[in-house]
Amino acid sequence: MREVAGDGMLVAEGLVKRYGTRRALDGFDLTVRSGEITGLIGHNGAGKTTFVEAVTGLIRPDAGRVTVGGIDVRRDPCGARRLLGVAPQELTLYVSATVRDNLRLFGALAGLRRAALHCAVDQVAEELQLTEVLGQRAGLLSGGQRRRTQAAAALVGGAPLLLLDEPTAGADPQTRAALLEAVRARAASGAAIVYTTHYLPELADLRATLAVARSGRIIARGAQEDLVRGLPGELRLRLDGTAGDGQVPASLADRTRSDAGELRITSTDPPADLAVLLSAGCTPVWVDVRRPGLDDLYRALTPEVSHAG
Amino acid sequence: MPADAGGRAAAMIRHNTILLLREPGPLASRLILPLIFLTLLHPLYQAAQGHSAGISQAVIATVVMFSLLALSIVGGSILTERVWHTWERIRATAVRPAELLAGKALPAMAVLLAQQVLIVGLGAAVFGLAVPSPALLALALFAWTLALLGMGAAIGVLARSFSELSIAYDLGGIVLSSLGGALVPLAVMPAWVRHVAPASPGYWAVSALKAALGGDGAATVRASAMLAAFALAFGLLAAARANRGAARSARM
Repeated sequence: MREVAGDGMLVAEGLVKRYGTRRALDGFDLTVRSGEITGLIGHNGAGKTTFVEAVTGLIRPDAGRVTVGGIDVRRDPCGARRLLGVAPQELTLYVSATVRDNLRLFGALAGLRRAALHCAVDQVAEELQLTEVLGQRAGLLSGGQRRRTQAAAALVGGAPLLLLDEPTAGADPQTRAALLEAVRARAASGAAIVYTTHYLPELADLRATLAVARSGRIIARGAQEDLVRGLPGELRLRLDGTAGDGQVPASLADRTRSDAGELRITSTDPPADLAVLLSAGCTPVWVDVRRPGLDDLYRALTPEVSHAG
Repeated sequence: MPADAGGRAAAMIRHNTILLLREPGPLASRLILPLIFLTLLHPLYQAAQGHSAGISQAVIATVVMFSLLALSIVGGSILTERVWHTWERIRATAVRPAELLAGKALPAMAVLLAQQVLIVGLGAAVFGLAVPSPALLALALFAWTLALLGMGAAIGVLARSFSELSIAYDLGGIVLSSLGGALVPLAVMPAWVRHVAPASPGYWAVSALKAALGGDGAATVRASAMLAAFALAFGLLAAARANRGAARSARM
C-alpha cells in the first residue's frame, strides 16, 4: 500500500454542482482518513454519483474543492486518479478479455510493472477467490465471479483511496464474505475507503463510519454508535389473545402499531414502556426488544424515502 | 514522455491489441477479402484501361473501398467500450487522454496499414503494379490511414448501436469509394458526382494514391494534406462528442 501523508486521504469541501436549475451537489463536505471505511448512504439523487464523478475528475464542480492525498483534483486530475481505485456499481469488464488481462490492465494503469504486476494480480485473485478463473474470459464468468473481478480491478493497484459502489450488489454469500474481508484487509493496511451500499448490515460488519447524503449534501456523519444513540428502538410483544390493541394505555397508543397480531411500540426506553403495559393489565406471552439500527437511522434521516417505501 | 506515461500507453496498446486478437474473425476477413477482390477483378480493370492504368486503378479501388469497410474495426473498438461501460472506467484511472488515444489508435492503425500494404504488395509483386516512389506511396497511405482513424473514431462515438455502426461503414464505405472515383474513374461518372466528389475523403485518397503511383510529389503532398485535414476535423468531432457524453456513467 502506498503511503500518502495528510489528515484526510479524501477531502471534499463545499462542493456545488448544478445541472440547469437542479443542484446535484449543494455544499457536499466529506473527509475520509487513511484506514477508515466510510459508508456513504443516501437515496437516489442524493448526490453520491455526482460526488464520485467530482472525486475522479470526470466532472468539474461549480464551487468547492476536492483533494485526494493532498492533490487538488481540479488542478491535477490524473495525479489524483493515480491514488484511486474505483469499482462502479455497473459491471465494467472487458468481457472478451480474460480475468487476468482485465486485472493486468488496471494494475498497469496504476503503475505496476512486470514482476510487481504479476504478483499483484495473483495476490488479489487469491484474495477474492478468482485464481481458478484467471484464464477465463470475463464474459463467461458467473455473476458472483464478475462482481469479484470488478472489485479486484479496483484493488489490484494498491490504491490508497478506494471508491466502492455497491460492490456486493447481487452477490452470493461467498462473494459477499470474500469482498468484505478484502475491504477490511485494505483498510487495515491503511487505505481510505468510501463504500456505498443499500444493504446496511454490511456497514455494521465493516465497522464503517457513516456519511448520510441527502439533497446534495452530507446531513449526518460519524461513528454508527454515535449516530444511532438516542434513536428509538422497538418493543415488540404478543398479548395472550383475550384482548387486543384496546388494552394498550393511551400514553403509548400513538407509538403503537399492530402487525399480524404483534404489537410494535416505538420506544426510547423499552423497560419503562413494558412496565406501563404490565401495570395496565396487559399479559404478554412473548416480548422482544429491538435496539435502534442503521435502518432506523436511515429512516429518521431520510423521511421522504421511508414514507415512499 | 515520462516513464509512467509510457508504461500506461504501452498497457493500453497491449490491451487493445489483445481485444483485437480475441475476436480475429473481422480482422481476418478485412485482411483476406481485399486480396481476393483484387485477384478476381484486376483483369476487368486492365481490360478496360490497359495493363498499367488498369492495375493501378484496381489497387486504388481495393485499398480505398476495403479500408473504408475496415472502419468497422476502429469504430467497433470504441463502440464496444461504450457498450461495456469500460470507457468511463478507464477515464477514472490515471491514464491521460493522449495515452488513451494512443492505446486505441495504434493497434487499429497497424491493422489498417497492414491491410493496405498487403493489397499494394500483392499488386506490385504479383500483378505488376509500378511503384516509382515508395516514399510518396507511404505518405499517401499514412495520410489516408490518419483520415480513416479520424472517421472511425467519429463513427465510434456517434453510433448508438452496432446496427448503426454497420450501416455507417457498409453504406459509407461504398458511397465514399464511389464518390471518390475509386471503383469507377470520375471521368465516366455523371457531372453531379464530379461536382460533389471533392467533399468525399475517398476522393482525396484516390487523388493521393494516383499521384503517388504516378510519381507526382506535389500532388501527393497536396492531397495528403487534405486527408490530414479530414483526419483533424473528424478527430476533433470525436473528441468533442466523447467529452460531452462522458459525464454521467460512473453510477454511484
